[in-house]
Amino acid sequence: MRASLREERHDLSYVAISKIASLRELSVGEREVSIGACVTHAEIARELTSVPDCRALALAAGDAANPAIRQVATIGGNLCAANFAAADLVPALLCLDTEIELHGLGGAEQIPLSRFLEIRTSLAPGRLVRRVIVRRTPRRSVHVRLPLRKAGDYPVAIFSLAVTFDAAGVVTSASAAVGSVEAAARRWHELEAELIGHPLDPAHAAEKAEHHCATLRARDGVEAPGWYRLKVLPNLVRKAANAMREQS
Amino acid sequence: MSVRLKINGEDRVSASDPLSPLVDVLRDEFFLTGAKPVCREGFCGACIVLLDGRPVASCLMPAGLAANHEVCTVEALAPEGDLSPLQRALEQHDVVQCGMCFPGLLVTLTSYFEQAENPNRVDMKAALVGNVCRCTGYERILDAALSLVQPAGAR
Repeated sequence: MRASLREERHDLSYVAISKIASLRELSVGEREVSIGACVTHAEIARELTSVPDCRALALAAGDAANPAIRQVATIGGNLCAANFAAADLVPALLCLDTEIELHGLGGAEQIPLSRFLEIRTSLAPGRLVRRVIVRRTPRRSVHVRLPLRKAGDYPVAIFSLAVTFDAAGVVTSASAAVGSVEAAARRWHELEAELIGHPLDPAHAAEKAEHHCATLRARDGVEAPGWYRLKVLPNLVRKAANAMREQS
Repeated sequence: MSVRLKINGEDRVSASDPLSPLVDVLRDEFFLTGAKPVCREGFCGACIVLLDGRPVASCLMPAGLAANHEVCTVEALAPEGDLSPLQRALEQHDVVQCGMCFPGLLVTLTSYFEQAENPNRVDMKAALVGNVCRCTGYERILDAALSLVQPAGAR
């Protein structure tokens, strides 16, 4: 709908799929959360707010864009919009051990989200994202973002974090993801390795984030240059660690 | 190819392409000019209408996807010739300025009051995140809207 305004090419065809009932289903099971491709941000925020291990996803869905957009923007659309670097749901899903179920004439297959992000622009015609599967674990997760206004615009940087702790409060596993900094969201394995084996200390996490910012290739955009995205990222990591503490 | 729509309680048939933005169909075909196409990016909120009671940006809604849903525009928030309690409060508090954003603000706030169990300033601000107003600074709009549910000292 915005192609003309952005001087982009119109797609040759458009197939509406929002009336397919199975694509609109969201279910919370003991082992997994299943989210149909046409489930909206508003529905995800509403349904997952009380699911503690999916908190990052609920926060991402509840803060993205603005209320009117959240009523219609879908999780499938967010995942398939390869040119949209500031998609909120993608880093949240990356840190939550997510798989994507694709359907086509040859049947269905489930692939890790990270793999889907690599191949999403080269999938053969006739393939459809049917649902998103989030495996349930005892993790805790958070999602923090920095829009230029307090809310209502695209974030210049996004950080999502999921961790598990042992009884002494030491991090036993960590999944960190960065959004809006590079052209596409991705896991931040260098930071994850620094967090495992220590209590989650906000100052320590921010210091390590600053050290490993050099591993990211930040993009320049009209709303912010790449250096600015990297400059604010350690503070987002600090905020995420603080928010994680508050959850406990 | 025609699109059957239900707009403000009336069955309508649009001859526009189903991919036409709903806001253009409302304005150009049915002369419902309350919704304004301003940013066409879903940021400003001037085009917000209710789709099955929920506020949506009609600039990004293909008319074809609105088929079989109830569309309500600012023109139908009150009976013809009358004002809704919210419209009356905004008028009485003299908070209406240039009018570009106001239809969208009214639609969003109408939906908010229908859904909120405990209307309050913080939640109302969150509901209005997608309604950009360059004239008013919002606070007096919130004062006026809250006058419907709170005594003056509690706003």
